[in-house]
Amino acid sequence: MKRSSLPLLTTIAVLVFFYFPLVLVTIESFNASKYGGPWTGFSLRWYKTLFTDAEVFRALKNTLIVGVVSTLVSMVLGTVAAFALHRFKGKLQAAHYGLIYLPLVVPDILMGISLLLFFVALKVELSLVTISIAHISFCISYVTMVVLGRLQDFDFSVMDAAQDLGADRLTAFRKILLPLLAPGILAGGLLAFTLSIDDFVITFFVSGPGSTTLPVYIYSMMKHGSPPVINALSVVLLAVTFVLVLYSQFLNHGGKENA
Amino acid sequence: MRKLIPIVIIAIIAIIVFSSGKSETQKILRIYNWADYVSDDVIKKFETEYHCQVVIDTFDSNEAMLAKLKAGATGYDIVVPTEYTVNVMIDDGMLIKLDPAKIPNLKNIDTDYAKLMRDGKMEYSVPYMVSVTGIGYNPEKVPDFTPSWSIFLNESYKGRMTLLNDMRETLGAALKSLNFSINTTNDAELEEAKNLVICYKKNIAKFDVDEAKRGLVTGEFFVVHGYNGDLQQIIEEAPNIKFAIPEEGTSMAIDCMVIPVGAKNVDLAHAFINFIHEPENCAATMEEVCYASPNTEAVKLLPEEFRQNEAVFPKKELIAKCELIEDLGDDNAKYTKAWDQIKSAE
Repeated sequence: MKRSSLPLLTTIAVLVFFYFPLVLVTIESFNASKYGGPWTGFSLRWYKTLFTDAEVFRALKNTLIVGVVSTLVSMVLGTVAAFALHRFKGKLQAAHYGLIYLPLVVPDILMGISLLLFFVALKVELSLVTISIAHISFCISYVTMVVLGRLQDFDFSVMDAAQDLGADRLTAFRKILLPLLAPGILAGGLLAFTLSIDDFVITFFVSGPGSTTLPVYIYSMMKHGSPPVINALSVVLLAVTFVLVLYSQFLNHGGKENA
Repeated sequence: MRKLIPIVIIAIIAIIVFSSGKSETQKILRIYNWADYVSDDVIKKFETEYHCQVVIDTFDSNEAMLAKLKAGATGYDIVVPTEYTVNVMIDDGMLIKLDPAKIPNLKNIDTDYAKLMRDGKMEYSVPYMVSVTGIGYNPEKVPDFTPSWSIFLNESYKGRMTLLNDMRETLGAALKSLNFSINTTNDAELEEAKNLVICYKKNIAKFDVDEAKRGLVTGEFFVVHGYNGDLQQIIEEAPNIKFAIPEEGTSMAIDCMVIPVGAKNVDLAHAFINFIHEPENCAATMEEVCYASPNTEAVKLLPEEFRQNEAVFPKKELIAKCELIEDLGDDNAKYTKAWDQIKSAE
């Protein structure tokens, strides 16, 4: 029987549409031309501009602080929420599930402007703290969903077994449940981190003086400023992301061997 | 759990590394501005002279900035909106009245530009940088070029010209060549302008904003309607390209510095506006951002070549013929309707 060539074509198309633009950005970032387009020679001037631009670094610092804080907090809160949703099934949990699910479908602009109005009403000064709170509030949902999926496959009899063998609840939680759930929590955390570092709409509204993040800065640069620097910045971000992904794969691999 | 530890460690290191330095005891001046619109050197100089720290945040459109400030976001000491947004902010009571005694350098501001502004007496706003719309062209392909919107009626360049895909700019060009105001709300005048744009449309390749300027370099297009800042970037790479402002006049945009209600360092903000309009600082800023500032004394300090660059500095006699695009409120619908008819015309 002749195999259909459709899957292969689809795979190639997906790879092309996904990775080719990345290759293009990388090439463009070395283009000496100021407005993109025709190749006018190899140049590192955009990287030089990038690394000497204090504003970019301040934005990067803000992005990383918000990303790390909101990831860690939403990992904890999301896991706890998933646990509660999995263990108890009542009317309260149905409502809870709905509340957790809502941020996944609410448009960003609505969330951004309502959070801003809320902070203003409470007279909270806009800063990195307000951005972090906003990010945590939507990241929790993603972490919860991922961990919940993981919990559905979880066999709770191991917990009972541990307790039968003399472990108290805390020990069982720490030594059995958490390690087994870790990949799910970690995956949720990574998802939260990526969502946090590239969120623009919500961040724009809840950011205050001195808390411009990278996406907000990049948008402004696109409208007003030098786009080639954005290419260089994208390549740097790309490199960092690849290193992180490789590292997390290395971790996962190591984890399996230990198990 | 063990897998989390490296991440936590990385996070802690990152926070420590990135948040080191910079004491918070100094005064902080917070500016809300477009990206790449100040000179780092001038900012550093200000920080040293006034013993303060300048923090710049960026926005990408007047509308987004306005939405945010209107919702109640405060804390910025200086904002840099375009003139039409300044008027909205004045009307809504969002701005602090400036104290001219604290900005002696107001005397350097070219009144030819200030006159175009509704807040021409600079009670609330001080013009910062100016940009205009004009025509980029390739003199080799268009040897008989004269700076006039009528070039778009010239059939010998059919299919080699582009107009901006922006209803106010393109209808504005037609209104200017008919000697009407860019902000007209007169139906008959708009109708005439609409018909003129439809005539232009027969000769142009397309309405475009971004691609056309590349086409100018590659030789695909000969005449391109565009913003001076964009075309100046093209000229830096392809010096054979020229820029001209049509003699009938064109649209101009002036970005202004304003102090919003709720600013924490009003005195420092005044000092900054004054500092920026110190001739040498203003000249340094212009050279870095490649826009013209309406500061007569600063312009005198610029190299001859830069001053003669028409893509940055409109000719003096043309300024009075330029107009600022105003927000027309409900009357915007008239323009939208005319634009729709132009787009669907054969």
